[in-house]
Amino acid sequence: MESQLHQEINRLEQEVMKMFTMTEEALETSITALLDRQDEPAQQVIDGDDAINQLEVKIEELILHIVARWQPVARDLRFILGCSKVANELERLGDQATNIAERALMLNQRPKLKMMVTVRSLSEVVLDMYQKSITAFSSLDCDTAAEVCRLDNKADVLNVKIIRELIDYMGTDNRIIERPVHTIIVSNSLERVGDLSTNIAEEVFFIIQGINVKHSTWFDSPDQNRPCSKE
Amino acid sequence: MTASIKMKTRDLDFYYGDFLALKKISISFVANQVTALIGPSGCGKSTYIRCLNRMNDLIPGVKVEGEIALDECDIYSQEMEVIELRRRVGMVFQKPNPFPKSIYENVAYAPRIHGLARKGSEMDELVEGSLQKAGLWDEVGYRLTHPATSLSGGQQQRLCIARALAMEPEVLLMDEPASALDPIATQKIEELIHELKNRLTIIIVTHNMQQAARVSDSTAFFYMGELVEIDGTDKIFTRPEKKQTEEYITGRFG
Repeated sequence: MESQLHQEINRLEQEVMKMFTMTEEALETSITALLDRQDEPAQQVIDGDDAINQLEVKIEELILHIVARWQPVARDLRFILGCSKVANELERLGDQATNIAERALMLNQRPKLKMMVTVRSLSEVVLDMYQKSITAFSSLDCDTAAEVCRLDNKADVLNVKIIRELIDYMGTDNRIIERPVHTIIVSNSLERVGDLSTNIAEEVFFIIQGINVKHSTWFDSPDQNRPCSKE
Repeated sequence: MTASIKMKTRDLDFYYGDFLALKKISISFVANQVTALIGPSGCGKSTYIRCLNRMNDLIPGVKVEGEIALDECDIYSQEMEVIELRRRVGMVFQKPNPFPKSIYENVAYAPRIHGLARKGSEMDELVEGSLQKAGLWDEVGYRLTHPATSLSGGQQQRLCIARALAMEPEVLLMDEPASALDPIATQKIEELIHELKNRLTIIIVTHNMQQAARVSDSTAFFYMGELVEIDGTDKIFTRPEKKQTEEYITGRFG
């Protein structure tokens, strides 16, 4: 029979997975609103952010309750602490979706910039990172988590490329600054989606192995020894 | 700087008749540290702790193989008399077991037999000092002639600790010392353990894993007569190496 503690931990996992799904939907919808120039989905994302925030509060309360009542240890403790941090990252991801949606509402009213092609590429990379971070968490898979961490460089490079292109474009005519400025904000938000997905992947390492891989250089080179999954 | 080893066992086997109750147990106990022994009932942790001051010798049909050393001296060697061993390696049991005598006499009894205090004033000092070390003086100093059995369970257990401390042991073995006590009395015992480790080396058997996590520097997990894992307590309770340890401490065992 499953202990009460483990029933509560399962409940916690379900709530975190629900938050993953809600945030994924918000990110996808905000990017669709931006790239396909649709206002209605953008507004949906803005309106839906509060539900994500509320779920974070609910998860924090559940964690407090579990820690106070059962004083979990070892992998249970690591999982619970990991969930607390993951929920925090998901709430921030929800905020980034809202940022993107707000900029989409503005940019949709203006002529389309040609740099949106690179923005699309960045969107694809960070959405892939986010989805891989869900897989890494739900299946506690170090290899997928490592892949997320490695992809972060790619997102950073694309962000820099977009900003460079926009600066060059602004240099041609200082009357067209408004759209590039908003697009830079969007690009930075997308880059943050990559960063926050990486944070989630790093938490997966902590949950599985109890090691802190933050700020490490393990993922910069595929040849370097890095923590790998254990059964 | 390497930590000094106060006591150790090497490849310790212990038999009750034909039954092998402990299998090749090797542990080094670092001086002035608390080591907690955890594991399910029947895993051998109490048998092990009782090997360390030869308490098991009193049971007929037992056999000990391997090495048990106190300060590098084999406790079964001729140089180590069992009475001297038990003076140096004191023990506190699960249930408080004061003698049916006064509080004073409980503490003074063993030192008197061993001739540790010759004059009355020396004995008074020894009794007071022991009760103070056990954190009991303020509660009983004014009624030393009262019967020990008039004390509460928690006070009786601290009296037993004072009684052990009166012999100025170097190692203190504690076999579930707080399992019969309420949370407040338990907290006092745990604080006392924390204080006492400055003076001596403590080895504690406990079924209460939170207690092991709170009081010990190192934790050893026993299962079916074997030492599965020993490591720093922080490590054992956050990222143990062995799956069996993790399953036991997270309640997924069996």
